[in-house]
Amino acid sequence: MSTDVSTRSPGGSAARLLLRLRAVVALVVLSCVFAMLSPEFLTAGNMTILVKHVAINAILAIGMTFVILSGGIDLSVGSIAGLAGMIAGALLTQGVTVASWDVVVYPHASLAIVVALVAGMLLGAMNGLLVARLRVAPFIATLGVLYIARGAALLLSGGATYPNLGGRDDLGNTGFTWMGSGVIAGLPVPIWIMAGLTVVAIGVAGRTPFGRHVYAVGGNERAALLAGVPVRRVTVRVYVISGFCAALVGLLIAAQLGAAHPATGETFELNAIAAVVLGGTSLMGGRGSIVGTLIGAFVIGVLADGLVLLGVSEFWQLIVKGLVIVLAVILDQFQRRS
Amino acid sequence: MRTLRLHRTFAAIALALVSASCAPGPGTPAGSRTIAIITPSHDNPFFKAEADAAAARAKELGYEVLVNAHDDDALKQDQLVDVAIARRVAAIVLDNAGADASVAAIRKARDAGIPSFLIDREINVTGVAAAQIVANNFQGATLGAEEFVRLMGERGDYIELVGRESDTNAGIRSQGFHDVIDRYPDMRMVGRQSANWSQTEAFQKMETLIQANRGIKGVIAGNDTMALGAMAALKAAGLGRVIVVGFDGSPDALDSIRAGEMKATVLQPAAALAHAAVDQAHQFITTGSAGQPEKQSIDCELVVPANVDHFGIFARK
Repeated sequence: MSTDVSTRSPGGSAARLLLRLRAVVALVVLSCVFAMLSPEFLTAGNMTILVKHVAINAILAIGMTFVILSGGIDLSVGSIAGLAGMIAGALLTQGVTVASWDVVVYPHASLAIVVALVAGMLLGAMNGLLVARLRVAPFIATLGVLYIARGAALLLSGGATYPNLGGRDDLGNTGFTWMGSGVIAGLPVPIWIMAGLTVVAIGVAGRTPFGRHVYAVGGNERAALLAGVPVRRVTVRVYVISGFCAALVGLLIAAQLGAAHPATGETFELNAIAAVVLGGTSLMGGRGSIVGTLIGAFVIGVLADGLVLLGVSEFWQLIVKGLVIVLAVILDQFQRRS
Repeated sequence: MRTLRLHRTFAAIALALVSASCAPGPGTPAGSRTIAIITPSHDNPFFKAEADAAAARAKELGYEVLVNAHDDDALKQDQLVDVAIARRVAAIVLDNAGADASVAAIRKARDAGIPSFLIDREINVTGVAAAQIVANNFQGATLGAEEFVRLMGERGDYIELVGRESDTNAGIRSQGFHDVIDRYPDMRMVGRQSANWSQTEAFQKMETLIQANRGIKGVIAGNDTMALGAMAALKAAGLGRVIVVGFDGSPDALDSIRAGEMKATVLQPAAALAHAAVDQAHQFITTGSAGQPEKQSIDCELVVPANVDHFGIFARK
């Protein structure tokens, strides 16, 4: 997609390589700095926790990558995450009241998960249809859905938290929290989910016609249309993917805390966009990769946890994060000019 | 031409709607039986309880209520106060959006002849609000800290989770904690982080802090949501026996204490604050004076497993 493959100047190749790998370089440098300053940083325990924290942002960012590759943006992911957690919370703690029989049915935890994921995908489809069919600018369409989903999450419980999502044995709806705090082969479940999703996303983006279509739509929508790419269908699907990822994150957070809070996920969309951009994906669409996004998410995660471990004040944490993002985008400009 | 005409039609309709909704109803002294209740977001059970209690008491006294949330945004608060002035409410019960940032809005209401009764958070000037009724955060924090020190056996490593650092109460509570804890030389603070009052943030930061301090004996948090987030992280790390003390007395924290997880919290009397504000507003409306000094504070209460069943939603049962 990018032009730097064809322009070969012998002296600049090493520098260009460093530029292309800037997120990796940043990750290595940051990790070394934290490892030197804090003896606990490189312990297996801390690494596991760190990757688990990264999973939240990485899953959102993977969905976001598809949207941004197609030339769009999805601001609604944080709100969809919040709503998905609340839907699962409502199903697990309140059940479904069947009015005609006056009974309350408590669905199995897995069904609650499926319902929340489908809700996320439907909201994603709404984003996609607004963008593809009604030609609403992605920024505006997803901003609208951001507010709608947050309002719905607050309405569901009247603003309250749904606590004790562990379920009750007598109702047969236990098991939800396993998704957040369970362990498989020594690693927490969220890490496995992130890993699985990453593998699937790399495959979809790089090895399927749909993946190539996403790049084509983002590169030049008109040309893609003329070349026979089903632009509208592709556009709707990227937002559905993003909605699915967002709902998954909402469920993971609710499962980790054992509680669903309607304000969960506020400003998460910005962290996800930051990870995508750090990973070298162009906000204009058509250029970027899932692997890059994953590395971007790790850079942000290493920063956040490393600074906490060092006891750095919250205010400085924000400033450092901002500086790293701006620096990454400046480097991105250099790469495109070279 | 056509679009221009359309615009005019819309404008006319809009104008008609606006003037219709602003016109005072026949025979009623416009809006004077309404009390506006403005608080931070109801997604925090404390503010919801406060707003609900104020609304319930106002309705009992025969008032209409106008309940809104400013989401800790001083601009939004200003706009809500404008709406209250436009509706010519009789009084405003306000949990404000900032000790300095709220002064102008409250002064504006006063100049329009509407008294404001502040609850939960103070402002940095006197003589502008009709009353400032707050829970005694410092007294509450010392109560919580004394229990924390007792549970810790006056020694050991602990971590403090602080609220949003731009929030006055975060600072006051932290001060109250340290006023007590720092008198015990064997109590050692090994970590102090802001988790911005948030459960998710407290959970993640606690997980990280545990890595560097597996030997901690206690966690003291500036509010209950952070305490619950820390509790979840400690349980997940197999450190469920670590002593966790919170602040607020939220229903979720009371449940946690009942379940033997959190060890204590400090209950802020949200309902009592709200009732006092509405009662004084009522007295002000009927007699022209609230009959109380402007600055008032109501003491907090310690909630421990032994007395947890005596407490309900931010109030003694």
